[in-house]
Amino acid sequence: MQKTKEIQTEFKPKILAFCCNWCAYAGADLAGVSRFQMPTDVRVIRVMCSGRVPPELVIRALANGLDGVMVLGCHPGDCHYSEGNYLTRRRAHILKRLLTYIGIEPERFQLRWVSASEGAKFSAVVKEVTDQITALGPNRWAEKR
Amino acid sequence: MKATSAELQTRVKDLFEDGTISHFIGYETGSDSLRVAPCFLEGSQEIGRLVWNPVCANNLAKYLLDFKNVPGRVGIMVKGCDSRSVVELLKENQIDRDRVFIVGVPCSGIVDREKLLQVMGISPTQVVAVQDEGDSFLVTLTDGEQRVDKEKVLRDECLVCRYPNPPVYDVLTGETVSRLPWVGDDYSMVKEQEALSLEEKATYWNRELSQCIRCYACRNICPVCTCSECIFDKKAPRWISKANDLSENLVYHLIRAFHVAGRCVDCGECERACPMNIPLRRLNKKVEKDMLELFNYTAGIDVEQQPPLTTYRVDDLDEFM
Repeated sequence: MQKTKEIQTEFKPKILAFCCNWCAYAGADLAGVSRFQMPTDVRVIRVMCSGRVPPELVIRALANGLDGVMVLGCHPGDCHYSEGNYLTRRRAHILKRLLTYIGIEPERFQLRWVSASEGAKFSAVVKEVTDQITALGPNRWAEKR
Repeated sequence: MKATSAELQTRVKDLFEDGTISHFIGYETGSDSLRVAPCFLEGSQEIGRLVWNPVCANNLAKYLLDFKNVPGRVGIMVKGCDSRSVVELLKENQIDRDRVFIVGVPCSGIVDREKLLQVMGISPTQVVAVQDEGDSFLVTLTDGEQRVDKEKVLRDECLVCRYPNPPVYDVLTGETVSRLPWVGDDYSMVKEQEALSLEEKATYWNRELSQCIRCYACRNICPVCTCSECIFDKKAPRWISKANDLSENLVYHLIRAFHVAGRCVDCGECERACPMNIPLRRLNKKVEKDMLELFNYTAGIDVEQQPPLTTYRVDDLDEFM
């Protein structure tokens, strides 16, 4: 007999991860095939480069009610397109400070470097960010009227 | 502000007559003595319309874009801040340097209309003229004259202006101005805001930005907002909903602030145009401060300088793991 579904009471965050095709996405793959345990609150969107992620996407995601947004790219110096992640790094500095300035927790936007061989790091980053955002609680942006 | 309207008129008349320029963008008297309107001349016949006084607040740089496809060379008069906007337009190849003739006018501060009316307790119809007198303005009223301290009636951005002289110009009318005596800490406003707790910041911006009616005046007047199709007007993908609620207003203002990041020259036009008096400079200044601290970059100084977000240094700060 089917059990009645337990009503979920504790907060489960929704986190978006933009993963670069060449490093972080492969890293996520590796974490999967290596069967590393990690929280399941992260939704992955594959992009060709972390430089593909403009601040508008991050802002839009947060405004649409995502509790956190991660951008995962190659380590500085390892970008498949030579300089995409350096440009992202500059933008991320400004964006993070701007978000904090208008009163949004800086942890909700994260930029991390994960290479294709760092499956373990991917799962560690996912765990760390999920913990941080769970501790922050839900993002109320979308409810602002 | 030593240059007078007469001097400017002679200068521009000469430029028209020796064929240097075919058009000129300047100021003319507006609906009252505390307002000016942009003025477009096509020859020296109507040169008498041109004025230059301490109420010439408009940043004329944006009108250069309207002359992109007009044959001939367009002249424009620029204050320090306007000149920096022109530099940004040149940097982004929006305009051709050879087709623009820049008449620089050193500026020692522009009157804030609202402040002046409030401080002096008068109505705009009583004002005949405003004259620059160094540390003060001499305001000629219908019934006599009155002097008023600059610090009390200057526009907010003029109070922190570091570039009273145009950094780029072809000719300069009037004497250059030395560092303005009242200029204090450029970023005191930003620091004050940064010192608040996250909660207080959110409350502040929620209060301010919930007033926004999304008329887009700040975008339309901004001299560096030059996209022919703005991201906020796009239908597919639609980046921002038409709904006028706080959530979407936050999206609008964050994206706007980011789009002028490293390009904003703090001319204060957005705040002047805002019908709801939203403190937009408070957002722009924050980005400006970060640009300076992180990348040691100030917009609108040097045409050759690479815009900060289109370049990088390998040894940039890396606070991400």
